[in-house]
Amino acid sequence: MSSAAALDTTIAVVTPENIAFNYQLAGPFRRLPAYLIDFAVRWVVIIGVVIVMLLLGLMIDISFLGPFVVAAAFILNFAVSWFYGTILETYYNGRTVGKWATGIRVIDVEGHPISGTRALIRNLLRVADLAPMAALSQLGAEDAPPAFLIPTAMIGLLSMIFTRRMQRLGDLAAGTMVIIDERSWRLPIAKVDDPRVAALASFIPGDYRISRSMARTLAIYAERRHYLTPARRREVAKHLTIPLLDRFEFRKDVDPDLLMYSLYYKTFLAESSTEIADLGPLAGYSPLQRDVNKPTGLSDTI
Amino acid sequence: MNVASILEKRRVQWNELERLCDAMENRGRTDNVSGGEHRGAQGVARFSTLYRAACADLALADAYQLPPNTVTYLHQLVARAHNQLYRATKFQPSSWIDVIFHDAPQQIFADPCVRVATLIFFGLFALSMYLGYNEALFPEFANAMVGASQLEQVEDMYEKPLSGSLDHYVTMAGFYINHNTGIGLQCFAFGILIIPCVFILSYNAISLGTIFGYMARPDVTGGDHFFHFVTAHGPFELTAIALSAGAGLRLGLGAFRTGGLTRYDSIRRSAIRAVPVMAASAMLFVLAAFTEGFLSPSPAPYVFKAGWAIMSSGLISFYFVVLGFPRQEGPSDYFANRTRHVWDDAEDGNTVFEDQLIEDTANAT
Repeated sequence: MSSAAALDTTIAVVTPENIAFNYQLAGPFRRLPAYLIDFAVRWVVIIGVVIVMLLLGLMIDISFLGPFVVAAAFILNFAVSWFYGTILETYYNGRTVGKWATGIRVIDVEGHPISGTRALIRNLLRVADLAPMAALSQLGAEDAPPAFLIPTAMIGLLSMIFTRRMQRLGDLAAGTMVIIDERSWRLPIAKVDDPRVAALASFIPGDYRISRSMARTLAIYAERRHYLTPARRREVAKHLTIPLLDRFEFRKDVDPDLLMYSLYYKTFLAESSTEIADLGPLAGYSPLQRDVNKPTGLSDTI
Repeated sequence: MNVASILEKRRVQWNELERLCDAMENRGRTDNVSGGEHRGAQGVARFSTLYRAACADLALADAYQLPPNTVTYLHQLVARAHNQLYRATKFQPSSWIDVIFHDAPQQIFADPCVRVATLIFFGLFALSMYLGYNEALFPEFANAMVGASQLEQVEDMYEKPLSGSLDHYVTMAGFYINHNTGIGLQCFAFGILIIPCVFILSYNAISLGTIFGYMARPDVTGGDHFFHFVTAHGPFELTAIALSAGAGLRLGLGAFRTGGLTRYDSIRRSAIRAVPVMAASAMLFVLAAFTEGFLSPSPAPYVFKAGWAIMSSGLISFYFVVLGFPRQEGPSDYFANRTRHVWDDAEDGNTVFEDQLIEDTANAT
């Protein structure tokens, strides 16, 4: 762990087991789709229930049930539009339909699950976060009816920009935050399929101890190198490998990318340092400076 | 031992924990995972064991020199299991009874924000009612505030005596619950920004007050029917609006009057304090909606409606004053008392310090 807090959208949470683990915060670009999905779901629910009630009313006796249907529709509209989020977040562990679809979850700032009161506060205050309202006619559509209002959500956006945990006002008041809760549960470790890697790794001196920061750098490099072109890989790796070439007494023209990858292999994957790697067709080649006059396949074939 | 073999050994348990998490997320229980091995108490114990093991792995990740992507994976796994182990606490209906009948009145009685909101609302209401009524001195006031067209509309509405059927009552009760409580909740929510909350409150006070004053003029048609309509639900509804604004102001004031807490903690604490007041307000709105839907439009005699209004005012007063009067705290509120003493001490400390300062200044001169 670095001493200074990383400039990132993660937040550390200390559990009762005294473990600090990181959550990744959800920003406006994940939360807006979640909100829109919830908005759609709310209206689908309201309209669906009203249609079902009307059909039932038709089957029985519309003249008697009609007013009850209308009253129930009003109350349903009230309950769903104000308490949809509260109820779902309380009963489904901090998730609404939209949050489930976009892979985010509400938790409180200490990392505990959200309680009913907190869910109530943050969902009631959404109205304030969606302010100010803009009429369509202000936004350029001249012929739109003036009553058609669109929430601009500027207040919530500003609040998210200026708070450490990307909280809107409702989150601030309730003491909650929205985190990314994705389900990418592959256990990732980079595979090494290049035979030259094991060959080069066998020449790395046994007394070379890899420091923690070096190990971390190597692992990050091995993860990311697939996204870089070969020339770019060499350029990036060169900064670390030039002093290492001197240290290992390797030839100057050993491919920096290959050397980084071999170090990674030696650190994380190789069974043990005593075991001699199966060099196959590469046996006999050497990257060492003193063997410079012998033919080698390591650097020429890249 | 190298990292790859550590991972191979550990990932057996991680996979098991993942399967349990999957089962918890999808079905809410772990009965069917690996043939009933994780049923009931045994499953809970196994889950927490695996969770603690994953926590330990995460704690030792640095010492093992695990690759960062594995650490990320562990963070996700621990977070996921954590979310399943410590789940959201559900609403408990019994606790809400306590909130409505104990916390809310106590809070309302003690909260200056409620007093300010009530003063603003009823002050503006009474003022605009007088200005709207007094045609000789302020002939243009009612038109300027509410608009001639809306005044005419109100006049037309109450031209005929009140009569209604059950159909109409039920529909209107539903409509009022939706519409009026919605305005109250909106007023509360905007309280965190203070100005919109005060605006909604004042707007409602002035427009309602002006209409009341205008309809009370002797030459306006339908005035009798109007007051026949509004008397019964007035106390509930007007108090509810003022209360919701009071709760909202409490929310917004927390950002400025922090009382020694950090601004962030202060907002959170005032939100927790505002919730019971808002709950009481919502309850009054619903009561008002039922009264407005069923009793107000009915052709029941005026005496009955006035009686209902007096009774509801009495109930509200009882609720605010008798239930809200600060009680002798029981032993369960030990910590509340402790905090208060600490605060008193701090205040005393201040005065001592100030005295000393005054003495010092006196000596210096």
